[in-house]
Amino acid sequence: MASARVPLDEQHVTEPSGPMGRDRTLPALHPERMEDRCFVVYRPPPLESSAAQLEEFLEHAQFIADDLDWLLALPHDKFWCQVVFDESLQKCLDSYLRHAPRGLDPEALPASPAVADMQRRLHRSVFMTFLRMATHKESKENFITPAVFGEIIYNNFLFDIPKILDLCVLYGKGNSQLLHKMIENIFTQQPNYYGDLEEAVPTITQVLDTILEKCGLQLEGATASEPLKLEAHGRSTAMTMSQQDLVDLVLYLCDSCTTIYSLLDIFPAACHTFQSHGFLSRLASFYELAVPDFEKAIRKRNFDDKSLQEDMWRRISHSCRKMVEIAHLFVLHTCLQPILEGSENVQSCVEEFLQIMTAFLQEKRFLVDYDEQFSVVDDVSLLQQAFPHLDETRSSYLLQGVECAWESAGRKRLRPAPIAATQEVMERRGKE
Amino acid sequence: MAPPRLTGALRSFSNVSKQDYTEDIYDLKSKRLKRQELLSKEGLTWQKITQFFGQHLEKGEQRIATEELKKILQAARQIVGTDFGQETVESAAVFLFRTFYGTDQVGHEETRAIKHMFGPFPCSAADVSCAAVGRLVSPMDETQVEAFVKAETTPRVPDRASFGRNIAFSFDSYALDYLENLPWGDEDGHPGHGFSLDF
Repeated sequence: MASARVPLDEQHVTEPSGPMGRDRTLPALHPERMEDRCFVVYRPPPLESSAAQLEEFLEHAQFIADDLDWLLALPHDKFWCQVVFDESLQKCLDSYLRHAPRGLDPEALPASPAVADMQRRLHRSVFMTFLRMATHKESKENFITPAVFGEIIYNNFLFDIPKILDLCVLYGKGNSQLLHKMIENIFTQQPNYYGDLEEAVPTITQVLDTILEKCGLQLEGATASEPLKLEAHGRSTAMTMSQQDLVDLVLYLCDSCTTIYSLLDIFPAACHTFQSHGFLSRLASFYELAVPDFEKAIRKRNFDDKSLQEDMWRRISHSCRKMVEIAHLFVLHTCLQPILEGSENVQSCVEEFLQIMTAFLQEKRFLVDYDEQFSVVDDVSLLQQAFPHLDETRSSYLLQGVECAWESAGRKRLRPAPIAATQEVMERRGKE
Repeated sequence: MAPPRLTGALRSFSNVSKQDYTEDIYDLKSKRLKRQELLSKEGLTWQKITQFFGQHLEKGEQRIATEELKKILQAARQIVGTDFGQETVESAAVFLFRTFYGTDQVGHEETRAIKHMFGPFPCSAADVSCAAVGRLVSPMDETQVEAFVKAETTPRVPDRASFGRNIAFSFDSYALDYLENLPWGDEDGHPGHGFSLDF
């Protein structure tokens, strides 16, 4: 039996082996200590619920649920042997993250109560499995050396960036605190994940570019180095593409925005990595170009199914909201919060804030939608209080720009105009 | 078809995850057999069954019992197919024994249980194994067989606190969070002109 108070990665176990039953000593983490359990992959609940399909789903799911119950009840050393060496377990977990219905999926809720119950049981078990895999110290006796833990989870792909994003979007709404601890621990023990995130951000940006391209739109700067393809002029747009393509693009956008938002909300440290790639300005430009086109197409196209048309509209509205909230998370975590917490780099944070906001001035529709949810004037007044040396010329320019954006959008604001509000703040400050 | 997802694009186009496109390692049939194999390892095994009848039957009855045990194994082989080894066949034979020791016919419940375990199977194999189990246990006291099976059947899940048992978990998930419904009748974002008061 493994000895206590020694990390699992340094433990050895002696157990009988072979037909003669002779004892042998093995490292506690060894492939021969893994059990041949044969995990099956997850398949989502069937949309068309014939009895046979339901039965097949339930049988599959029952196998996984029973196997995960067994796994979670294993002692620490056996659990890690299984997790590290059982390829079928990793495929099973990965398949769940890929295919489990998200709350946002068009047909997320299984109709049958038996299927819904089974889905809930699986949902919890998969989360607990990932939680245990993200925990290097289970108790005083059961732990792994942090550096070795970092290597194990990274080298065996127990966690990777897509899996972390899937976990955020599947579980982040209701389990944000636990998930925050998990992801923070993963990144702390294995900083290579920051490098992977760094590598993943261009692909995420590419997703936005692909959506633009499919809509016959192109970002300046995104592909400026590439010559325009000859067939580019004949490309379809949101108005002319097939209805199915439009639906797919809207679903893709909706999922992408929610997924990015969930990661940044749960793990704000990722904001810096995204920002180092200029993600925010790309997002704002994307919004400016794509949103009006999508809105126009959904409003004007002739949908056979009006409920689908309404659903598409809500998804675009949801995506807009999430994009604005993503922008606010950046502003909050890279600028405002460090300033309020009295960071040493207040000046650079203030500069970052002004740069971000000044860049938004070009994207009028985005700026108005941002300001509607997160008042720029409130943030500026906050800065003025925290950093009295704030350049008034720049802040006034910024607030005038916000006002101009509202005017050019032809929309009525519900709050007082920024200039008036800023003057109020300034006057108050003068009195104080 | 699954809706398009950001993480799908990341898996396909970035280099930050394991590039492994084969998903299925085990199908339902091999999983069913594996479960049976694990169950039979945990408690009742073919070896224990043969030993039990070897110990509790008279010498004259033992020769017949050996024949019946062979028939059960043959039926099990027919049901699981020829692709599997002796271990799998024996675990299937254990399942057949456990299914039929208390009954004298292949009823609806028994058929469903076998189908659930092995998928489609030849009915004749079920009939043969049912009859063989019946002849095997007939010289014995029913309660003796019942006690043997119960004693050898251990719980499948280890009796140990499961990780996460006391951790609060929420089933809340992200839902559509939109600001406005589709403005029917609007043109380019401006109020609709379905009717006019400008006479």
